[in-house]
Amino acid sequence: MENILELQQVSKTFPKSDFTLENMTFSIPYGAIMGFVGENGAGKTTTIGCILNTVRKDSGTVKLFGKEMTDADIGMREKIGVVYDGDNFPGYWNARQLSGVMEGLYTSWDHALFQKYLEEFHLPAKQKITSYSKGMTMKLAIAAALAHHPQLLILDEATGGLDPVMRDEMLDVFLEFVQEENHSILLSSHITSDLEKIADYITFIQNGRLIMTASKNDLVYNYAVMRCKESQFLALDPKDILAYRKRDFQIDVLVSDGKEAQRKYKDIVTDHVSVDEIMLLLVKGERV
Amino acid sequence: MRGLLKNNFYATLPNVKVFSVIMLLLGIFVVAMDNKIPSLIIGYTLLCMIGFSLNSIASLRRECATKWSKYKITAPVKRSAIVRSYFWSLLLWLAAGMIFAGTGVALSILLHGFPFDKNTDIFMLLVVGTGISLFMGAVFFPLIYLGGEERNEVFLVVSLLCGIGLVMGLATLINSFFPAPMTPVQIVLGGMMILVSALLVFALSYPLTVCISRKREY
Repeated sequence: MENILELQQVSKTFPKSDFTLENMTFSIPYGAIMGFVGENGAGKTTTIGCILNTVRKDSGTVKLFGKEMTDADIGMREKIGVVYDGDNFPGYWNARQLSGVMEGLYTSWDHALFQKYLEEFHLPAKQKITSYSKGMTMKLAIAAALAHHPQLLILDEATGGLDPVMRDEMLDVFLEFVQEENHSILLSSHITSDLEKIADYITFIQNGRLIMTASKNDLVYNYAVMRCKESQFLALDPKDILAYRKRDFQIDVLVSDGKEAQRKYKDIVTDHVSVDEIMLLLVKGERV
Repeated sequence: MRGLLKNNFYATLPNVKVFSVIMLLLGIFVVAMDNKIPSLIIGYTLLCMIGFSLNSIASLRRECATKWSKYKITAPVKRSAIVRSYFWSLLLWLAAGMIFAGTGVALSILLHGFPFDKNTDIFMLLVVGTGISLFMGAVFFPLIYLGGEERNEVFLVVSLLCGIGLVMGLATLINSFFPAPMTPVQIVLGGMMILVSALLVFALSYPLTVCISRKREY
């Protein structure tokens, strides 16, 4: 399967903060949505910085559309739409001025499409961006990212400032975007329920390290959590344990094959697991 | 480049609007006053030229309040083009300042006659205004990429002082070459030396700023 984005062993150290992004490796196939999950400070924005060359990686390779992107690869950046968390554009602009600037930056800027999104998202074109609500600024950024017909959308906490109704609208927009088979999305988010709705793959990171990448279907249908008593936990085969977390009277154990675990450990209660719970177990839990 | 210049224009516009109104009112006052003592015209001309240039570079701070500086890097433009757009914007606003100043001086001459001792004084006035503006930009742009937009105010003051200092230093150096009283040819030659030096430093500052901007992380 061909990949639109490939990261191989990407590392970056910030000496001042002691933070290290270590050997980040994952890829996104064409036509897929990759959810990128991790706690605050896990390295999501640094990884996105390395992809977009806003941060210089120390080592490793990042391939976009099969090629490493340099500062000179203007054509490649035409095909990428970006949305950052918070204020993407100067507050003294209005949407019309934003369109004017973008028209001069992107050769494929589609003014009509941008207008369509402004109407669809109920964004007044003449109002200064500074007077927009947080949700409105995020919708404007999403509209701007889509209006130059990108192939790859990179969204860094782009749904964070939106209420559930708006978020649902945006998720529909993203799903519509990936209807084209050569379109893909990298969506970094804390809101794992969003990822459960739309992601095809989910990558978990913690403290600058990749914990795992898996398909969402695999996570939802195969992964499970076993609710064990201490004695049951001690009897488990360590190979079956991905992560475990001690609660008051039980130990939650994450396993990658719930059905197999049910067959093997008949006396232990095995539940389906949400992406949220997987994240908690992987981030806060312990490994064998 | 068109988009980048538009971006710089929008960033400068609100401050320039206010500044233009003040300069317009000051211009009316200067033109209305008798120009027997030319210090008012000298002050107005320099204020116009340096003021517009200063507004242009001061607007960079407005971008750092948002993620726009980072966003621009992800757009299909090279970092060198972003830097180039700042240099062009300064030149364009300097030209606007020259037009403002030139209009004021011309109207004053039309109404009250020629206020200076020599014809070369007007040329020297333009040289000083342009020289300070160009030196200021040449110092400011590499500094802002090196130290970050949050130190904009400090760099603005430092670069303005550097601009004034360099022009004064060069003028002192030229005066020591040509013993007083200087002939008109020597004055023009001296002015040209300041202008060429300022242009050269401004031009050399561009590759240096590009080099620094390439190492900048967002």
